[in-house]
Amino acid sequence: MFNYRVIALIKRELREKLLSKTFILMTLLLPLFMFGAIAMQTFIMSFDSEKNVVEIIAEDSAISSGLEKIIRESSFVKDSTIIPIIQNMTKTEFADYLKIKEKDLLNEKITGIIFIPNSALTDKKIEYYSKTPKNLRLLERIDNPINKVLVEEYFSSKNIPTEELKYARMSVDILSYKICKGEEIKEEGYGGLVLSYLFSFLLYFSLLMIGSMVMQSVIQEKSNRIVELLLSSVTSKELMTGKIFGAAITGLLQMAIWLSPVIVVASTSWFMLPEEITINITFIQIIYLLVNFFLGLLVFIGLFATVGSIFENPQDAQSGMWPILMLIMIPFFISMSMIENPSNPIGFVASLIPFSAIIVMPARMALVDVPLWQILLSTLINIATVIVIFPVAGKIYRVGIMMTGKKPSWGEVVKWLKYKY
Amino acid sequence: MAVLKINNVSKSFGNIKAVDNASFSVPEGSIFGLLGRNGAGKTTTIRMIMNIYLPDSGEISFGNIKAGPNFNSRVGYLPEERGLYKKMKVLETLLFFAEIKGKKGKEVTKLAKEYLEKFDLADRINSKIEDLSKGNQQKIQFIATLLHNPEVLILDELFSGLDPINTNLMKNIIMDFKKEGKIILFSTHVMSFAEKMCDNIAIIDKGKIKINGSLSEIKAKYSQKNISLNYTGDISFLKEHPIIENISDYGNSVGIKVKEEEHIQQLLKLLVENNVEVKKFDANDISLEEIFIDTVGKEEEEVEHV
Repeated sequence: MFNYRVIALIKRELREKLLSKTFILMTLLLPLFMFGAIAMQTFIMSFDSEKNVVEIIAEDSAISSGLEKIIRESSFVKDSTIIPIIQNMTKTEFADYLKIKEKDLLNEKITGIIFIPNSALTDKKIEYYSKTPKNLRLLERIDNPINKVLVEEYFSSKNIPTEELKYARMSVDILSYKICKGEEIKEEGYGGLVLSYLFSFLLYFSLLMIGSMVMQSVIQEKSNRIVELLLSSVTSKELMTGKIFGAAITGLLQMAIWLSPVIVVASTSWFMLPEEITINITFIQIIYLLVNFFLGLLVFIGLFATVGSIFENPQDAQSGMWPILMLIMIPFFISMSMIENPSNPIGFVASLIPFSAIIVMPARMALVDVPLWQILLSTLINIATVIVIFPVAGKIYRVGIMMTGKKPSWGEVVKWLKYKY
Repeated sequence: MAVLKINNVSKSFGNIKAVDNASFSVPEGSIFGLLGRNGAGKTTTIRMIMNIYLPDSGEISFGNIKAGPNFNSRVGYLPEERGLYKKMKVLETLLFFAEIKGKKGKEVTKLAKEYLEKFDLADRINSKIEDLSKGNQQKIQFIATLLHNPEVLILDELFSGLDPINTNLMKNIIMDFKKEGKIILFSTHVMSFAEKMCDNIAIIDKGKIKINGSLSEIKAKYSQKNISLNYTGDISFLKEHPIIENISDYGNSVGIKVKEEEHIQQLLKLLVENNVEVKKFDANDISLEEIFIDTVGKEEEEVEHV
């Protein structure tokens, strides 16, 4: 399969792709872009609460003074993201006060007013008035101190020892442990989650990027009529093999570049990561990821090349691309949903069916302890997918690259399979 | 060196029979012209020789090599629609096309530079293809066709889109190849080139080979009792004349076929008597264009009537 012609083709593909500006930029910029996106999100979130003026009005003076003490110590007050104004008035006074303040609330001079009626000491119900009452981030920050004060106030009359009071005040803190066969139980941080996100995104980007690069280059060869000159020296099978392997090697290299920081972080102790985001990844897992990715590249590049061969310009090809996009995007969303619930049965099934196994299995592996037989089975399924689609893809490619003129229909493409070429 | 043989080759696309039982052969050291109108089946035939299409039936051989990669590596092929990778550099392009024919190394690089020198492109060696003029891109294509030192040259619609300088360049290359005892096969619908260059021809129409053989023999056969005439005046009186078999108007000249050999002199006499000013009167001569139109043109009229 790899004679001098195929090797010459692979060499040309590598030279063209590895030295292309798009490839170099994307390979270097994607990690920056991803970190940039996270940084941007953090930045935007830190931005929103800069001028939140919140008035907290309690009916009971003990509560308001308790609040005064606790809230003044809170970090969000210290970094002045929320400016609290704590007052004390009765329910009827508050009703009038609210009317006066209505204008300030509407033009957002005041973000919101919280009213704590005396009844809150029995049912913990408090009222929040605002133009945007669903500002969850703000409420999330403020409800904890209020709860604390209410609890304290409630129990102060009940004569309960401070130790027990302390317990009651505590919120639940879940420590998660991952159970692995043959290993001692370890505390599980967010490392698996981070890895799962990372693999899914990288696979998704890389398959799409390399795939569409190959499609463009097939279309270019077809529309520039280079293909006939090529076919006078190499067979269409050799041409397709050279193209796919050239691109797959490019993709593998790109993935290795992207994963190398992860490998470095995981395998050395140069970087002191916080306990909860320790990344647990073994060398074998990295090898598996790269093998799995290589198979994925073969499958999807094959499909993209086939679609490219059917059409003569990129616009037409867009319409032919959607079935492949679905094959990439649906598994990607399954992976994403698995992050919410790693033992999702859809995730299990998707990690063992053709096409989606390529994308779902690595994400699943990072989240749960997948038995070895499933990993092997999914690899076998991927190899079988390559073996099954290649003769079909090769046939369509064979006919397609020499077919010029009007845009063919799917029915015609199916007929090509019967052509003797 | 061996003979390139095309034996009873057929190819259909759906219901259309593109090539129908075509046979011809090209001996070494000769130039072969495959002539036909657009859509006659020339390109399909050539693509079958290059193994780009597989024939439905029939066989193509070169000595004891069958059509396929082994044969292709001995062929320099120039398709009708020629493209190059626009972003690749000149030398890179040439070396790539030689490499897929199985030739690489210092020798090839040296030869490539020699060709570039010969074609006045030595200074463009590191230019991108897209930065070259169309004429220069064609020269690169010629070099790519020749660089692996092929034994056979196959050129589809050779002269379409070539400027006069490149046409001349290509003619010289072909003549050099012929002198080296190599095989040249080209297709064209420009009869004047074919007439000047070819040793053998085949005229193909609607997928069928209509005439096949040595150009001089074909001309000898068709030129008997034929007069190629250039004139001014009125020759309509000849139409119903008993010595005339038929008259074909080719635009520049008129081909007149007489019934018997001795009618040729009578015809000349008739023309002079009827005050027709004779500018050229070639007895027993016929141009390839006349043969071509006689063979293929009649059916063209039929097609037009439909």
